[in-house]
Formats: sequence, structure tokens, C-alpha cells
Amino acid sequence: MSATTMSTGVSTGEITPKLGYAATLLVAGLWMVPFLWMLVAAFNPESIGAGMASLVPSYIPTLANFREAWASADFPRYGLNTLVITLGILAVQIVTITLAGYAFARLEFPGRTLCFYLFLLQLMLAPVVLIVPNLTTIAKLGLYDSLLGVMAPYFASAFGTFLMRQAFRAIPRELEDAALIDGASVFQRIGFIYLPLAKPSLVAFSIVSVTAHWNEFLWPLMVINSPDLRPLTVGLASFTRGAEGAQAWGVIAAGTLLVSAPLLIAFALFQRAFVNSFVSSGIK
Amino acid sequence: MTTTRRNILAGAALAASFALSPAFAQAPTEIELFFPVPVDGQLARDMAAMIKEFNEKNPSIKATPVYTGSYDETLIKTRAAMKAGKPPAAVIMSANFLLDLKIEGEIQAMDGLIKADGKTNDQFMGQFFDALHGNAVLDRQVYGVPFHNSTPLLYVNTDHLKEAGLDPDKLPANWEELVTTAKKLTKRDGDRVTRWGMMMPSNYDYGGWILQALTHSNGGQWFNVDYGGEVYYDTPSMLGALTFWSDLIAKHKVHPAGVQAGGAVSSAFLSGQASMMLLSTGSLTHIRTNAKFPYKVAFVPKNVKNEVPIGGASLVIPTGVEGERRKAAWTLINWMTSPEKSGWWSRATGYFAPNKAAYDMPEMKAFLAKNPDAGIAVSQLAVAKPWFATYKTVPVRKAIEDELAAVLSGKKTPKEALVAAQKGADEIMRPYVEQTALKLPTN
Repeated sequence: MSATTMSTGVSTGEITPKLGYAATLLVAGLWMVPFLWMLVAAFNPESIGAGMASLVPSYIPTLANFREAWASADFPRYGLNTLVITLGILAVQIVTITLAGYAFARLEFPGRTLCFYLFLLQLMLAPVVLIVPNLTTIAKLGLYDSLLGVMAPYFASAFGTFLMRQAFRAIPRELEDAALIDGASVFQRIGFIYLPLAKPSLVAFSIVSVTAHWNEFLWPLMVINSPDLRPLTVGLASFTRGAEGAQAWGVIAAGTLLVSAPLLIAFALFQRAFVNSFVSSGIK
Repeated sequence: MTTTRRNILAGAALAASFALSPAFAQAPTEIELFFPVPVDGQLARDMAAMIKEFNEKNPSIKATPVYTGSYDETLIKTRAAMKAGKPPAAVIMSANFLLDLKIEGEIQAMDGLIKADGKTNDQFMGQFFDALHGNAVLDRQVYGVPFHNSTPLLYVNTDHLKEAGLDPDKLPANWEELVTTAKKLTKRDGDRVTRWGMMMPSNYDYGGWILQALTHSNGGQWFNVDYGGEVYYDTPSMLGALTFWSDLIAKHKVHPAGVQAGGAVSSAFLSGQASMMLLSTGSLTHIRTNAKFPYKVAFVPKNVKNEVPIGGASLVIPTGVEGERRKAAWTLINWMTSPEKSGWWSRATGYFAPNKAAYDMPEMKAFLAKNPDAGIAVSQLAVAKPWFATYKTVPVRKAIEDELAAVLSGKKTPKEALVAAQKGADEIMRPYVEQTALKLPTN
């Protein structure tokens, strides 16, 4: 689907825009394959059969898989839970990473560098090794089997702090000094100078954060017991995964589409803003 | 500050007096049941329906079914919840994790509960098939109640047999016949294989179990049934079993290379891209509802003898579950493993009912008359042995499953793989072995 523009191979050693464009299309095409297959499978009336593996639809589309998936789990409730989790985490994170980022970027205090490196060390830890200690803490705080318990460990983000520190350091100090002369407090300086200028970084971080927590499975599975509090990923897994059995691919594809659709739609709507934020925040 | 503290104290006292008052004593005992989804989504709904019925029939108990992922994730979640001081009242646990949980003191013996019901352990376990006792009774104490169990089965597409000019009434009974049949069933288009004669799942958890089935069929044993610190990975019977699997791929070219997931194997079988497969009885209902062709099931083909491991899950009560919650969990466990319920669950899933009396019920007799394939698994129980269970079962299993994957992708020879697996497993079990078998009197 993408090879049509691969006509002009120029041998100057440099990549021409055309060639670069073609290569991008090719890679994009490769990345699209699983998604396309999911689309094809979700509307396939045959859940099992030779046609199942085909990327080219050869059937009359049906909504039966969606009906089955929809009936299998309480999607609106799971969706609401996921929304509460992801947006709740993000709201707190924005406050904590802004303040921490400002502290590391602009405040002078003894042991600042050491403190910052200790913070970054957190990035090296695989979250899985922290499951038991985290869960013990959550239970002691009385947050076991609650949405707040799912959210709490993520309220401070090392990655976000790092990102905001870099963004704040790139902002000329003179702007802050000018505000200081006018008598602005720390919070006024952060709110009126730093935050507006670091907006692209904040947006970029928000995308990473929301996507990560939207897709998370193991930690919510550990914390949540009540069926009413399940997020989408756990709800989806409860009817699509098998240990010794076999899978109905059509229903799985339809369910996966239902779960990922909100993110996909959000991305499609705000695509330009997202891309711009990544470009200007330096994450490419 | 003091006023708030006083308020809290007053509130606590008020709450305590409420808790002691008769009105509150009638509040149902709340318990959770952790369950993995063993087959597919329909079962999560079946489980919800089953627990709903239980709650309606037992108004003094309110049980909540909690979905906990795969068997391995269920173990992680149960352990994490216990360490956090929130043990669930009951768990449907992979049957071979019981030994490790017992060694770590994480599940409780049910002897007291059985005695309170006026039964001996033997009388209580007598209602379940003998083959299941090994994964439930440890040191003569009952640690688990069998809920749904399985054995591997050979599934054969009989249309493909006919097409290849073979007798659909004569299914491969030994390894020799399996290879010749698989060769005839495999279809090639030049170098490309369009239909595989044979497929076996080799993903984590499944691969070890299938390899155990081959080892048993080859006259071997996977582990020391009486002692949790020994596995027999580097032995001739295991070498024969692993070589057989690797030969199906490299020598006979009737089995695809690399790791095959359980779902992929059953999908290949249902779509006609594989003619035979070894898969759990737990998939029987799924295959029966989705197969658009005649199929048959048979015992796992033997090399030396007919013998297979048990699979599936048992109900356990974690340590720390006491008083009313413990009693309520026991009521739930007994209800779920009764002849009616275990029979119903068996018909819904394809797993066999561990309770022997389930097969005397009229619904089950009618079901078996209509679906003779479900009876094959039951008759195979006569030659079934316990599922491998050691100290730290999951890592010890992974030690050989990683090597199995290397062999199936042609990166290692079976002998190299088994030597490495044995070394890995011995290292994992060493602390236990030193604390038990190697802990000798010094003076």
C-alpha cells in the first residue's frame, strides 16, 4: 500500500525528501498492520477459520463481535474508572512535577545534584519489583481495593520531574528576575512565567502519562478486587485471555478496539497540537 | 487536636457498639474468591452467575468473585495481597502451586474444617478421583479441594485422516504411529508447509505441562513426588521426550518450529491448518462449539506407557483467614465442589468434574451420551499422575521452559538444554535442599 512512491532512487548518498517520505510510509505501513488486522477481525463474522488471518476483508461486516464484547464486560463503568485513574494521576502529577522541576532547576540548596540523581535512579527500577512493597504501603494507608490505591504510587514522576527541570532551565532567568523585582511570589513566578512557557513539555508529558496508565494491567490487577472498580485493561482481560483454552479472535479484536478507541479518537482530534508539543519540547 | 482525637475515639466506640449489637451481627460475612479465567470470556460470566446463585442461597455470606489474570498472575496477586495483610478468603489456584505455598506457610490445612463436618480426611478426599489426591493432600493433610482439572488429550481432525487414506477409527496410539500419521497429514507446497501434521503448545506454563506428558509417556518422571527439592530434568526418559518433540520439528518436519501459544494451536486446529494437536481437556468445549469438521480425541500417544499429568486448579484457603470468614470460605468451597456444581462447570468448560458423584447425575449421563469425547479424559484419569510441584515451582518450571524454547527454535540440542535446565533448577532449589535434605546433625 505504501511502495507506490518508491520510484526515484538517487545515489548522491543523501536522503532526498522523496525517499525519506517513502521510507516513512513504509515504516508507517508496517506499524499499521496489527491495527488493520484488528479492524478486519473485529467486523469478521467468522471468529475462527482460514479467513481469520487475512488482512483483506472477505465478508459482509457484522457488529456481532462488538455486541458480544459489549455484553461481556461493563465497558462504560470500566471506561469511567480508567478515566478517573488516568486523569487523576495526571492532575496530581502536573502539580508535583512542576514544583519539583522548579526546585531542581532554579532553587539553590545543598545536595541538589545528588538529590536529583537519586530521583533519576527511580527510572532504572522495573515497576514489577516494587509490587509487594507498594501494595503493603497501599494497604497500610487503607487504600487497598480503591482507585486512589491504583493512582497513589504514580503521583510523583521521575520522568516528569526531569522533563520539567530541563524545560525550566531553558527559560531565561532574566524573566524571573524581572518578576521578582515587581514583587512576585514563587507561585506567581511559576504560574505566570514558567508554566506558560513550558506548556509544550507539559502536553508531551501528559500524552506519555495518559497512554501509559491507560494501558497498565498488572498494578490495577493487584490493587483492585471489586468488579465495580476494574479499569478497562483488567475488564478486557477478564474475558479475552485463556490459560489452557482457546481464543475467540473476533471478540478479542472488537474488545480491544473498544478499549483503545477513546485514546485513538483523542489522538486523531488533537493530532496537530500533540505533534507540535513533541517538536517544541525536544522529544522526537 | 484533642477534640478531633476525642471525636475519633467516640466514633470508634460507637462503631464498636454497633458491631456488637444484634442488628449488625446479621450482616453477611463478606469474602472474596480469587479466580483466574481458565478458558475464555464466557467463563468469567459463568463464574459470576455461579457466585450470584451461591449468594442467593446463602444470605449470611456475600462472596465476591475477583478476576486475577492467568494462573501465574493469580499466584502473584494472592501473595502480594497476603503480604499486604489482605488475604482473600479463597483462591482457585493452579493445582501444582500448592506444595510451594505450603512450604512457605501461605495456605492452611483444612483438616480442622473437615473434622468439624464429622468426616475423616480419607472420607472427604474419597469423593474426588484418586489421581487428584497428589496435588491436594500434602503430608497427609488436605491443603486443596479439586475444583476443575484436566489432562492433555490428542485431538485429531478425522476429515484429514480420511483425505490421507487413513482409518478415522484408528487414531495414533504410540509415538511411531504418531510420526507416520503426522507425516501423511502434513501438506507441502514446495518448501512451504500449508498444513502441519501435529502441533503442541509450548508457551510458559503450557510447555512444561506438555513436556511432562511426553516424559511420562516415555516412562519417566518429572520430579520427586515425595520431596519438593528434586527434579529429574537431565535423565534419559526426559531426553527421549525432548528429542521426540525436537525431531517432529527438525527431522520429520511435521510440527512448526519455535514457541507456539495455546491459543494459536487451537486456532490452527480449528482453521484446518493443523491436523492433530495435544491440548488440554479444558479446551474441549471451545473446540466442540467451534469445529466445523468431525474430530476425535484420544489418549496421549505413548512410547513406553500410557501416563499423563493432572492439570487444572484447586480451591485453597490462605493463612490468616480466620473465624467467620474461614467458615464462609469453607461453605463456598464445599458448594462449588459439590456433584451438581462441579458437573455444571465441567459441562460449561470441558474440564472434567473432580467429584466422582458428578458422573452419576442424570444431566451428566445425558451429556456424556451426547458427547462421548468428554468421556475420554475421564478414562485417561486412570493413568494420570500428579502435576509437577516443587519448592518455587514457577522459576523451576521456567528453568526448563526457557531451554525448551531454545530447542524448539533449533538453538540448542536437547542434551545441552537439559543439562542447563537441571543446573538452573538445582540452583533455585538449593536453599530448600540445604534446609531440609542436606541439613545433617553435626555432632
